[in-house]
Amino acid sequence: MVQYGGDEVSALVIDIGTSSLRAGYAGDDTPKAIIPTSYGFVPVARDGDVAMAEAETEAEPTAPKEESKLYIGQHGPSVWREDMQIGNPMSEGLITDFKPIPYLIRYALKDVLRCKPEDHPVLVTEPAWNTPANRERMAEIMFEEFDVPAFYIANTGVLNAFAAGKGSALVIDIGHSTASVTPVVDGFVLRKGLVHSALPQLVYAHAKHTLITSYKHPAVQLFSHQLIANKSPVEAGSPPRFTVREDRLSKTTPSLASYYENREVEEWVQTVAGVLDQGWNEQAASQRPLRHYEFPTGFNTYFGPERFQVGELFFAHSRDLVSSNPHLPRTIPSLISQALAACDPDMRQVLMGNVVLAGGGSLFAGFGERLNNELVRNFPHVKIHAPGNPAERRYGGWLGGSILASLGTFHQLWISKEEWQEHGKPIVAQRCK
Amino acid sequence: MAGASAADVRSILSLPSSSTSAPAQPKKPAVPISRKPSGISRELYSLIGPSAPTLVAQVAKPRLKQKPNLSGGGTSKWSWRSFKNSARTDGLELGHWVKANTDPDAGPSLVFSPRYRYKDKGTLEYPFARYNAKSPDYTYSQEEYTNFLEDPEWTKEETDYLFNLIREYDSRFYIVNDRYEFPGGPFRSMEDLKDRYYSVCRKLIRNRPWSGDEASKAQLISTFQFDKEREVTRKKYLLSLENRTPEELAEETALYIELKRIEQNEKRFKQDRDRLLRTLLGAECGLPDLPIDEDGPLGDPKKRKKGAPGELDSPATPSSALFASSVPKRAQSAKSAAQDAMHCIQRMDVTMLAGTTPKTTHQAAHLRSFRVPYPKAAVAAKVSQIAGELGVSLSRLVMPTRDTLTAHEALLESITSLVEAKKVADRLDLEIRTAKIRLGMRESEVPAEMAMDVDEDGQAPDTPGEGRAHSVVSTRSGRSRKQASFRKVIPRSFPVAYWRWRSPQTGTSNDRRSMSVSSVDTSATSTARAGTKRQKLS
Repeated sequence: MVQYGGDEVSALVIDIGTSSLRAGYAGDDTPKAIIPTSYGFVPVARDGDVAMAEAETEAEPTAPKEESKLYIGQHGPSVWREDMQIGNPMSEGLITDFKPIPYLIRYALKDVLRCKPEDHPVLVTEPAWNTPANRERMAEIMFEEFDVPAFYIANTGVLNAFAAGKGSALVIDIGHSTASVTPVVDGFVLRKGLVHSALPQLVYAHAKHTLITSYKHPAVQLFSHQLIANKSPVEAGSPPRFTVREDRLSKTTPSLASYYENREVEEWVQTVAGVLDQGWNEQAASQRPLRHYEFPTGFNTYFGPERFQVGELFFAHSRDLVSSNPHLPRTIPSLISQALAACDPDMRQVLMGNVVLAGGGSLFAGFGERLNNELVRNFPHVKIHAPGNPAERRYGGWLGGSILASLGTFHQLWISKEEWQEHGKPIVAQRCK
Repeated sequence: MAGASAADVRSILSLPSSSTSAPAQPKKPAVPISRKPSGISRELYSLIGPSAPTLVAQVAKPRLKQKPNLSGGGTSKWSWRSFKNSARTDGLELGHWVKANTDPDAGPSLVFSPRYRYKDKGTLEYPFARYNAKSPDYTYSQEEYTNFLEDPEWTKEETDYLFNLIREYDSRFYIVNDRYEFPGGPFRSMEDLKDRYYSVCRKLIRNRPWSGDEASKAQLISTFQFDKEREVTRKKYLLSLENRTPEELAEETALYIELKRIEQNEKRFKQDRDRLLRTLLGAECGLPDLPIDEDGPLGDPKKRKKGAPGELDSPATPSSALFASSVPKRAQSAKSAAQDAMHCIQRMDVTMLAGTTPKTTHQAAHLRSFRVPYPKAAVAAKVSQIAGELGVSLSRLVMPTRDTLTAHEALLESITSLVEAKKVADRLDLEIRTAKIRLGMRESEVPAEMAMDVDEDGQAPDTPGEGRAHSVVSTRSGRSRKQASFRKVIPRSFPVAYWRWRSPQTGTSNDRRSMSVSSVDTSATSTARAGTKRQKLS
């Protein structure tokens, strides 16, 4: 305790990402509550009978009188419900729809953590490109709806650097929807060097395309197990034998169907896809072992070189792709070079010596090695810090927040309720630089 | 039984007690005072006495490990207490766990309580509040600004903005530069910002009344020195370094390696020469304290010019002719001349002994056959081959008279230079060829060609073989001094092979090699011995 200068004030840390919302106590090494950010809702007629998410019974004075019932958490969007639609408040890493945010946070804090938010200071994370209006809105939610005694909003880039134990770092964060490169110096983001792109979305789209339109095997039907009544085992590569739950299929909304499809694609990517460590090479790709994968329909096959083409999109776009679409999201190497070009020449050496790899997307098979190989070519002294523990990699932002909020010297930075009431919204920009 | 003393024996045998036993009597009661510990028989205890604590400890009844005390005696109570942080301007009270036995009025006090400082009121301060250090910042009034700080490039508003940012980010210029967005202002580089800030600070210090002495003022001003031009040049240079192409980088690396290699060679050469000199002057003539130049007799090798490109391998040694003129010739007395003529003695000029230095006051006598030069190891094969073509055997000098030796030397020299010339010509030829190839092909040829270059240089012989050979000769002469301790040089017709056998052949490097070999041998035998010993043991 003495050595690291920690002083636990039982703060809560909330890290909202596109794929999941992480919440837990500062000082822990992993978040206690990890719930999907996507939520299900069934639009109901306006008859005044408003019910909130399952466990929520208290009245919400400021909650919008929505015409829907929200299904949140592990039993939220993943459970099939009639006419349920899926919503996600995030786009491009930013919160664009604040209506469900209080419900999501309330679910995480009250139903999973089972704590009273009004007893705990709360640290919330934000992407580096967050807008001032967004962070003020978040402060408003925390103070007005959750009545927290103190609040702070910190940058995920900085927090990822802190989680790696560095004050200055080049943070490469591959999330579910956005890949970003953030130069962090002395705990501050260099905003001019900050770049991000929707690269992971392109990768998932490509993976889906590969599965549906591959010439090697019949088009994969991406039904999730919720929609399948029964199936029988088949030989690898042969068409599946299964029956769909017709009763459910007809009542599945398009947004739920696409949510399930995307889940299947993500699962395939996480299990099978990879990236070659030395650039694209047809021969090397064909020499790598085939990988077997079975879809919920029972269709199973071996995937060869095509699984490496998926990961290649992180690092290079093929000519065909570029010519077909000039507005492709930028690749990781080009993001890095762009970020570095905007930094001071003195700083570049420091940053390249402290590259921090974070985000669940960076767990992509072979990603770290490939990145290292790409960077060493131009920067011989590059040093990549990539935690081997997957939880540490996925929840690096949360972990950094957990570290920050349990430091004794940090407690002077909290925006207290008193200050919020006195100064109003400008205090957020003033305190959280 | 063993406790029986002389007095007991006396009493058993009913002998009168001796006079010496009387003083022993009072000591006796002292013995029973040391109590017999339990677990040891009386007889044994009386044998060993109290001075065997280790044995007693072993014999003592074994004790079981103490049971852990689970009743809560060792635990400390903690309680949740709220505290105020004096670094905050508001009254936010956060809570944390503290040991319950600390004074509740004292606010937070934790395991690190020694670090607490008492504030003036006697209450304890939040321990982390003292890390809230503020760096001193400079502010200026309107009057000061108009008097000293006017700058055509900067408005007062922008300067104010800059100083605010610097205060806000604690002089972290990278961040200040990143966040610097003065509405309507021109683009400012980091050097502009630093220059403005430091110049304003300097002017403020200079023009404000200073309480201390001038030296401290100057020192403070010097901490605010900033040379914008220099910084800009430095950054440009950094950028140009970063923008090097891989080819340029490879070339630089190769050059660097080459440089290191040359340096190493020179060092080794210098060491060799120093060793030689020491051998010549010091140890063997019993004059170990003879002063030796740090640079050796030939001056700093670094200062000397390099020879032709082919001679990179070893620095050139100036010929001994340099010294010939500088050394005054010793006058020969007429008497000795007559004596010499009678005994067929030819006196040699000291300086004619090539490679020796004017400093060697002690010129040892040696056999001329030692001075038979040998070709350098690197070119020996080629030289002997050419000699063979000429029909001359280099290895066997039947009669090493002065004349023969001179002729032999000349022959060897010319053969060596021939070999050198051939080598240089070959290399140039190769270079021309590779250059042509490079012209024809792309840059991908570069690494391969460079590798070839390095190889060539690795083989490159020590061209100024003359110097090296001479120095070798002088060693030999030094070494052979004991064998032939007369001053005059007598032609000997001993087979060269004999002398080869008697003395180390080629200078010091060979010497060292043989030494290392012998050491390896001995170590090998010692390990073998150890092995046999181990075998015996097992």
